[in-house]
Amino acid sequence: MKQLNEVIKEVAAQSLSRGEVDLVIGWKKGDLWWQSYPAFVEGDEGVADLIWDPFCVPNLSRYLLEELDDKSKVAIFVKGCDALGFNQLLQDKRVEREKVYLYGIPCDGLVDPRKLEAAGHKWLSEVRRDGDELVLVSKEGEQRVKARDFMYDKCLTCRYPNPVTYDQMLGEAVEAQPQERFAGVEELEKISDDERFEYWARQFSRCIRCFACRNVCPACSCRECIFDIPEPRWLGKAKELSEDQFYHIIRAYHVAGRCVDCGECTRVCPVDLPLQELNRKFIKDINELYGEYDAGVDPETEAPLVTYNTNDPAAFTES
Amino acid sequence: MKKINKEKLPALWERLADEAALYLPVEEDGVVNFAPWKEGAAVNLDVINTMVPPKHLVFPQSENYLRFHVEGSKLEIEPLDVDGPYVVFGARPCDVAGIAIIDKLFLDEPCDTLYKERRDNGTIISLGCNEPEETCFCTSFDLEPGFSPDADISTWDLGEYLLWEPRNEKGQALTAKLDDLLEAADSGAAQAVEKLRQDAASREAAVVREHGWEVQGVKEALEDKFDSEIWDEIYRRCLGCGVCTYLCPTCHCFDVQDYSKGQEGLRFRCWDSCMFGDFTLMAHGENPRPTQKERVRQRFMHKLLYYPSNFEVYACVGCGRCVRKCPVSIDITQVIKAAGGVE
Repeated sequence: MKQLNEVIKEVAAQSLSRGEVDLVIGWKKGDLWWQSYPAFVEGDEGVADLIWDPFCVPNLSRYLLEELDDKSKVAIFVKGCDALGFNQLLQDKRVEREKVYLYGIPCDGLVDPRKLEAAGHKWLSEVRRDGDELVLVSKEGEQRVKARDFMYDKCLTCRYPNPVTYDQMLGEAVEAQPQERFAGVEELEKISDDERFEYWARQFSRCIRCFACRNVCPACSCRECIFDIPEPRWLGKAKELSEDQFYHIIRAYHVAGRCVDCGECTRVCPVDLPLQELNRKFIKDINELYGEYDAGVDPETEAPLVTYNTNDPAAFTES
Repeated sequence: MKKINKEKLPALWERLADEAALYLPVEEDGVVNFAPWKEGAAVNLDVINTMVPPKHLVFPQSENYLRFHVEGSKLEIEPLDVDGPYVVFGARPCDVAGIAIIDKLFLDEPCDTLYKERRDNGTIISLGCNEPEETCFCTSFDLEPGFSPDADISTWDLGEYLLWEPRNEKGQALTAKLDDLLEAADSGAAQAVEKLRQDAASREAAVVREHGWEVQGVKEALEDKFDSEIWDEIYRRCLGCGVCTYLCPTCHCFDVQDYSKGQEGLRFRCWDSCMFGDFTLMAHGENPRPTQKERVRQRFMHKLLYYPSNFEVYACVGCGRCVRKCPVSIDITQVIKAAGGVE
């Protein structure tokens, strides 16, 4: 079987040369071993730069919000988590399905460069996936390590490694091996209210209000965000804990029931706020109150927070 | 030159904290940032880049500076006091250089008196870097990983001891108060520092050369690049977040806002980011930087062309935070390369 890294170049070249799409969004490589970033290819020349490697973590579907404005069709590569985000954009009616071509990529987990660095694996020139192992290439030679030890936490709990929606699947489906995703939430549920308040206050106080968590989020696709409205300014610009709390709690409520648990908020946070845990608390509560629901799996399923049943529980109104 | 056994550092910090508010790299929840010292704080002097640079100590993310009160047709304004003396311990040379770069703008005429007062209240103790990180490129900007010319006191980690050298009157005044804790350094100390500086600089310069991150000629190369297509490639993946600006040791743009209720309120200034859409949004609704392309171009042109044109120094210190933390790897070294300054 051909390597995925070659297949993506072929399919992109084909779609572009046949005029099936105006643009292909994929990933390309930077100077440093962990830099794999979004690339926009409109003609033959960029195709050779397209890559697939263990660092292709940025979700490409958000770019559709801008790119589709002046194009008739755009192709993007979607991993399992990206496909969930894409479906959420569909469900929120922000993207038209027929204007997008999806190449599905079964993903067996991506590598967190900080975990490698923490284990002393620095100054690398390349990191390759080989089965269950990573091949770390440096000037000193090659070293093999267990891939699962260095994956993003979010990948360790991934339940949808294979895209749930696609036009063309590239590669063989992989088996999901999810760890329990609510373990972190359960730990936080065990501590007292005061301790939990103190925990989150300490986390939020580190926030620098860069909005990376919002800007990367496939559930945050509002044309105008409440936090950007200058008048009235709901979110004050001062670096105050109350403003930090307001921002994060309101954002969590806004994406409740629509968060696809892709974990990008946690990945992009420059100050390591455990934001995925906050969103997972909402997911867990929704599951417990209204039955299991996975946002992004099927855009036709009605989301529990936008439907009303007379037998809906009202436990949260009782204290 | 003086030295102090590293085992005695907690005693030194306790003394410094008696003199002034002491900030140093402290680890909490796995994150190392400059924080006020308190007994038992998990001080971490091994980390090169704290998650956020110590810029906020001289230029807080937000600071209240006056209180106002309206009574009838009379407006009363009461300026608020700036925090008192403070010491920053363990600032890395790149981060100190960042502060020196901001000084050029804020201390130039017309002087930003709020900034000046806070800046004058601080004493900065730098810690030279022995080993650069993979994303370090301060040598591109003629800075030295192992030495900070702009600190009030320089220190170096030599294993068992920290070498200590006051660099100006402010540094000497503080050093004099620590006489019983500091001892005279051996005759070989100066040579040891020299070697540490040279080793660190040559190691980093080799990496910079290998990656092609040299910055020579970039300012000149950018002079005719305002309408260049290099920006089309670079901006397109930008998410429009403020990671790069808020983690940058030299970014210094701010907004002025009020908290007001009824007839009274507080006026504060706070960091702002040229990456945000509303940064240049005018009251009449127009925006001279309507898309992310103009915003990204502005950020890099400001760092690599406008600032050096005004102050003869690039507004980048090569700390590598934006390289590491941009969610989509928009990397100033890519701009430097794309600008094509180095022959």
